[in-house]
Amino acid sequence: MLHLIGATVPVPYQSYINTGDNTWQITAATFVGLMSLPGLAVLYASIVPKKWAVNVMAMMFAGFSLVLIAWVLWSYKMGFGATSIGGGVHVINGVDTQTQEVGVGWVKHFFENFVGKPGGITNSVGEEGQAISAANTAIPFHFPTSSLAYFQFVFAAITPLLFMGSVLGRIKFSAWCLLVPLWSTFVYGVDAFLLWGGGYFAQEGALDFSGGYVIHMSAGVSGFVAAWVLGPRLLRDRQHALPNNLVMAGVGAGILWLGWNGFNGGDPYYAGSSMAAAVVNTNLATGTGVVVWMALDAWLSKEKKPTFLGGVNGMICGLVGITPCAGWVNGRGAIAVGAICTCIVWIAWNYLSKVRPFSKVDDALGVIYTHGIAGFFGGMLLGIFGDPNMLEYGCGHLNTAGQVINTTQLTYQTAHGTCVPFGVNGLMYTGSAHQLWEQFRAAVWVIFWSALVTFILMKLIGLVLRGARYKDEILEIGDLAIHGEEAFPEETFAMRSDGAFASASEAPAIASDPAPPGSS
Amino acid sequence: MKLIVAVLKPFKLDDVKEVLKNIGVQGMTLTEAQGFGRQRGHTEVYRGAEYEVDFVPKIRIEVLVDDAQTDEVVDAIVSSAATGKIGDGKVWVVPVETVVRVRTGERGSEAL
Repeated sequence: MLHLIGATVPVPYQSYINTGDNTWQITAATFVGLMSLPGLAVLYASIVPKKWAVNVMAMMFAGFSLVLIAWVLWSYKMGFGATSIGGGVHVINGVDTQTQEVGVGWVKHFFENFVGKPGGITNSVGEEGQAISAANTAIPFHFPTSSLAYFQFVFAAITPLLFMGSVLGRIKFSAWCLLVPLWSTFVYGVDAFLLWGGGYFAQEGALDFSGGYVIHMSAGVSGFVAAWVLGPRLLRDRQHALPNNLVMAGVGAGILWLGWNGFNGGDPYYAGSSMAAAVVNTNLATGTGVVVWMALDAWLSKEKKPTFLGGVNGMICGLVGITPCAGWVNGRGAIAVGAICTCIVWIAWNYLSKVRPFSKVDDALGVIYTHGIAGFFGGMLLGIFGDPNMLEYGCGHLNTAGQVINTTQLTYQTAHGTCVPFGVNGLMYTGSAHQLWEQFRAAVWVIFWSALVTFILMKLIGLVLRGARYKDEILEIGDLAIHGEEAFPEETFAMRSDGAFASASEAPAIASDPAPPGSS
Repeated sequence: MKLIVAVLKPFKLDDVKEVLKNIGVQGMTLTEAQGFGRQRGHTEVYRGAEYEVDFVPKIRIEVLVDDAQTDEVVDAIVSSAATGKIGDGKVWVVPVETVVRVRTGERGSEAL
């Protein structure tokens, strides 16, 4: 509040910072981080058989950590750096901007704007300097690189964690620890730059609000390909794949849902009206997804019962479907996106899964359906339901006291140069299928690139480690064989064997009560 | 002495326990069990996949009694646990050679 008093009062932050934007960005990022740890970790660990719960948690925490290290050392700049490897950067309005060079063919254009130059952000300028992006945003960022980089990190982190659902129950822990940073670098870094960092598809006009393509469809496709290369889980694990704790699954799923407020709410980068609208739309689509899936289960499934895990599937369909559209559709659009994506995925889940190649690949938790298919259709539906009046950027400026004054676009432009309130021209509102076409081209690319690179990486890792999956003897046991831990150990049957507290005199004395064996 | 073993529907436990207390039975051992008989199993649905579960939850009660009290206890269990529907369970009686109370070392009927 200090800066409201007057410009002469010293304030403890740089002039470019807006405390509201900065606070929300880190808060939203933390919400998204919670979606991974513990949200997704608990959800996945609860719906696998109990002998795999520890392995899932261990892979989640390791994967999250590995992406973070790669992110600050090289891969953040691949996705969101100011310059591309191909050199398609030009200064526009004083901002480094990826643009198409005049007279350049599409092949050159594509590769000039393919991926950012890898580089670290670990020095003081990297962490505390104003965030910049090769994407020429309408307004400069009002927070430092740390805010943007951490916000984008939690997205980069959750993506491989999502497709762990396809490969769990047989992938080697070491293979996972190699796959995650490599995949994050070569698949995520490239797709993030192409669609978000100002790369080719961004310049062509393809849109992805928070990652329907870059995150969810990519995760679905990559998981499917990785599962295919790995081969199926043990027959017994497939036949007895019962969840071990549906209550904990509910906790994980709930954190995922509410965490999504940061996922979609953080992506406008400014804590304005688009942020709030994106949050409402996200929840609308999600609630619709839950209800629609349970209704379909109750009316059309063989059992005619509304199942809870079905509701969770519907929740994820709604969340994933609205992710590419969140702030660009209106509330009715959000309900439509949630309902349509859930219906399509429900049909695919129940019928497409019986058809090749889906019937031949053991995608353990069905990531290709709830993330891959829902992400694809969510992105396409943006081309239909995008409402040109849902604006991502309002136009306002700071007065000398640091307060935001909203102005019309025209007044703002006169005083401050460009401000472009951004909306999407969907087929339903403008009659133009152009956006739909751009969405489709980007989708085809993301599917192709994710599948190709994941295939190559899985084959390479298989060569390096002499097989990326555990031997059957290990798979039969699970957690205990891999980590030496059980999710639900029985203390009655276990005693320390390392000699600690071997005799009563060695045990720490607690008043007159002898310490129980095994306490520390 | 006899060991009476009863495998019953879980929700009848309170009724059975009350009746046994009323006729002077001093103690019992209870185990949660899974079983099947003519009732057979049921189907569970997780994420669209159906799982045939052959076993249904049961409780297993064990009571040690004097020979003279055996029929009374068996009748009490049967009458309090019966619903008349399939899956009510079974009660069986086996002879017991000896019983020792761990605290005191008493043997035989004394230990009951």
